[in-house]
Amino acid sequence: MIYLDNAATTVHKPPSVAEAVFRAINTMGNSSRGTHESSLEAAGTVFETRCKLSRLFGCPGPEKVAFTANATEALNMAISGLLRPGDHVITTDCEHNSVLRPLYRLEDEGIISLSFVPADREGVLDYDAFYSLIRPETRAIVCTHASNLTGNVTDISVPARAAAEHGLCFILDASQTAGAMPVRMEEQGIDILCFTGHKGLMGPQGTGGICLRRDAALRPLKVGGSGVQSYNRSQPAEMPTHLEAGTLNAHGIAGLSAALDFLEETGIEAVQFREQALMRRFYEGVRDIPGVTVYGDFSRPHAGIVALNIRNYDSGEVSDVLSVEYDIATRPGAHCAPRMHRALGTEGQGAVRFSFSWFNTEREIDTAIEAVEEIAAR
Amino acid sequence: MPEESLNYYILFANYTHGLALKELLSREQLPARIAPTPRSIQGKLSCGMSLLVKAEDIDAVRECMERNRAEYYDIVAMPCQIQPRRDRYC
Repeated sequence: MIYLDNAATTVHKPPSVAEAVFRAINTMGNSSRGTHESSLEAAGTVFETRCKLSRLFGCPGPEKVAFTANATEALNMAISGLLRPGDHVITTDCEHNSVLRPLYRLEDEGIISLSFVPADREGVLDYDAFYSLIRPETRAIVCTHASNLTGNVTDISVPARAAAEHGLCFILDASQTAGAMPVRMEEQGIDILCFTGHKGLMGPQGTGGICLRRDAALRPLKVGGSGVQSYNRSQPAEMPTHLEAGTLNAHGIAGLSAALDFLEETGIEAVQFREQALMRRFYEGVRDIPGVTVYGDFSRPHAGIVALNIRNYDSGEVSDVLSVEYDIATRPGAHCAPRMHRALGTEGQGAVRFSFSWFNTEREIDTAIEAVEEIAAR
Repeated sequence: MPEESLNYYILFANYTHGLALKELLSREQLPARIAPTPRSIQGKLSCGMSLLVKAEDIDAVRECMERNRAEYYDIVAMPCQIQPRRDRYC
């Protein structure tokens, strides 16, 4: 199978990831629950992984990295943990439902009000709106680093500056960029960073996290067992325990740790260069095929994603033909990005998303281009 | 439009319902294939996977679903847009 659905999850991982999970599942105790060898092995691996993530993301320190099951959980923590009645939030048309639904819920409950930075037909944001939408009661800006549909990369210097100038909290969803391009909290002015471990970071599913800058404080989404301060009625106030109730997924974190080693050895810039080259090769190969419409802005920084449609064919049927006849895995439909589809005018048809990873080859890209060409000619 | 040129898509609220019906149909030796739900029929309430059933099997599949009170959202017949190169139940 030619796997081109890496924006959903990366299937091909460094072999060391599975080996690390296998080893961990046979040896690890419960992290932060005791001082015997097995527990300490888990605690040590978890701590080491926090340190690696802190270095990778330019986070103030490992204690500011809390593990979650995925980016959705991290975003829920950030959004529900930060916002208070009467707050106003600015977000964008490019967001995934993992940002939209937590915000919509608070809006529907009458807790917050919401404004959207609009996107045009190429999915490009109106950057001035990050400033013009600010109100006295605005508390946060939440946005994605790259659209999971078009691959357009957000110029986050704009929302970061707007947030810094107006004392707002800047929350970044790095689901499509963590591991695939540099993400640096201090340098880029990110107050809260939410990431997943199983996409660009190439770790196991069930891993992810939230990183806080020094002054970001959240009400935890979950409270409960922490292995420390057992006679305290409240969840410990200290990070990362503050946001980590319950047993951690140390087995998955061990796999993520191995994936981070691979990325460190390979270099994020090298990964970015390769994914960009594959994405460009595909884009150049399909953009002029008669009947093919490609979505997004390729004149500016772009993630390893190309979304397209062929004639008026339903995106589900195109993806099915790619799978059944060519053994190419893609993602059709709505991609949990309803506002982005509305902006692109693809709400009814959906789109077929091709997304690339370090482990894809030029030959796979060329095969996919040929498949698109053949389907468009039918 | 002739019956054989239609695809029958069984739609579900989620993957769990879809996979449960797939297993049920397999047990009763009724062929069905998991396919992406066409965006045009997905609407707001069904999920991205559906079961594709041949026109000749749809009555038996309906009967099986009724008998077992299978959970599903809808059954929609729609024509195949892309000329197939092999049997996709189109």
